[in-house]
Amino acid sequence: MLIFEQALSERPPAPRAKKSPASELKKPFISEPEQRGITRLCIQAAQLIMQHGAESALVDSITERLGLALGLDSVDLGITANSLALTTVSNDHCITTIRRVVDKGINMHVVTEVQRIMLRVEKGDLDAHQTRELLQAVKPLRYPKWQVSIMVGLSCACFAYFMGADLASCALTSVASCVALSVRQFLAQHHFNPLVNFAITAFVATSIACLGVNSPLFQKPELAMAASVLLLIPGFPLINGLSDMVKGHVNTGLARWTIAMLLIMSSSVGIVLALILWRVKIWI
Amino acid sequence: MDLTLLGRLIIDMMVAAVPAVGFALIFNVPRHALGYCALGGAIGHGLRFMLLNYGVPIEWGTLIAAGVVSFIGVYWAQKFHAHPKVFTVAAVIPMIPGKLAFTAVLALFELNHEGATVVLLTSFVGAFMKMFFITAALAAGLAMPGLLFYRRRPVV
Repeated sequence: MLIFEQALSERPPAPRAKKSPASELKKPFISEPEQRGITRLCIQAAQLIMQHGAESALVDSITERLGLALGLDSVDLGITANSLALTTVSNDHCITTIRRVVDKGINMHVVTEVQRIMLRVEKGDLDAHQTRELLQAVKPLRYPKWQVSIMVGLSCACFAYFMGADLASCALTSVASCVALSVRQFLAQHHFNPLVNFAITAFVATSIACLGVNSPLFQKPELAMAASVLLLIPGFPLINGLSDMVKGHVNTGLARWTIAMLLIMSSSVGIVLALILWRVKIWI
Repeated sequence: MDLTLLGRLIIDMMVAAVPAVGFALIFNVPRHALGYCALGGAIGHGLRFMLLNYGVPIEWGTLIAAGVVSFIGVYWAQKFHAHPKVFTVAAVIPMIPGKLAFTAVLALFELNHEGATVVLLTSFVGAFMKMFFITAALAAGLAMPGLLFYRRRPVV
């Protein structure tokens, strides 16, 4: 057991020195203001990707590699679900700083951009000043809402098809989930708690799918109900939480899983409420 | 391989590509990566379709398909300098057991509403266990490259 714990708590290896010529060739003296600037740079990168849904191991490695590539002696990041603490050492001088983490929604575009900046710094293309400017220029990509709604409507129709639904029920699914996603985006824009948001969205999706019950047009309306709420499955928190825990970041992993489970539970409440309210009795 | 099976496989892959792109949009994947998400979704679900067709249990089929998608994701990650999750999470979304999850929720609701019966309990436990194992297989398949090959070094 002890060996296992040691293995889990081992830090990821320092980046291969040959890959970061900038830090190897000229190891310039870093003054205290410079170290402070680089520290802020590192925690800014860490905060940015943590808030946009990167897994903990990735946040840890990007921050450390960025700091080492910019010439620091050591970079240590402490990660919890809603704060980040970073300590850097250079010339036996220590700087510690803490940032708050607020969930800003999954955005893989931001994660990719920050990772590419880090890779360029490691290659020696960028100095601290250019890195700061590039990091500040990273803006989250948002696809147009109508585009997302239509694609998610089609996606849920495809889920219904996989479940074995008839074409009419697939069409009903697509309408229900398209409207539901618009509701979800609207509520998110007005800063409703995600739990409330998911319950209302599940209620709307199930209510629209309920219209198909007792209608001769739809052969399997219950499959439309099952498929139209699938847009609410928190896939990224579930998968990220598991990879966190597998890689030894149990704290953040458990936090992600708890949130995901609460979201699933509040979606179930929305579904059940709609079934009770419209007096629908279905069984798959 | 007879032609009807090939036709069904092609339809299966085309249908699976749609949810992969739909969820990639929700996750705000960069625009140029969307096509790879679709391709990954089609490969994963198509592979699972073929495995199921040859009698592999769905849990193991899911594990193999998710593992293959994940290795392809690592290849793309190194090619385009992005984290593999950018491609792979959206690509495994078509394989999530939504119908089983919905059945489990309904059964739980009925258990509370009408009291426990053997039929309800059987269907709840059956749906829940199957859903749990398929989801676990998805996650384990996705973690495979990191656990087996990229143990102490970053993918990108």
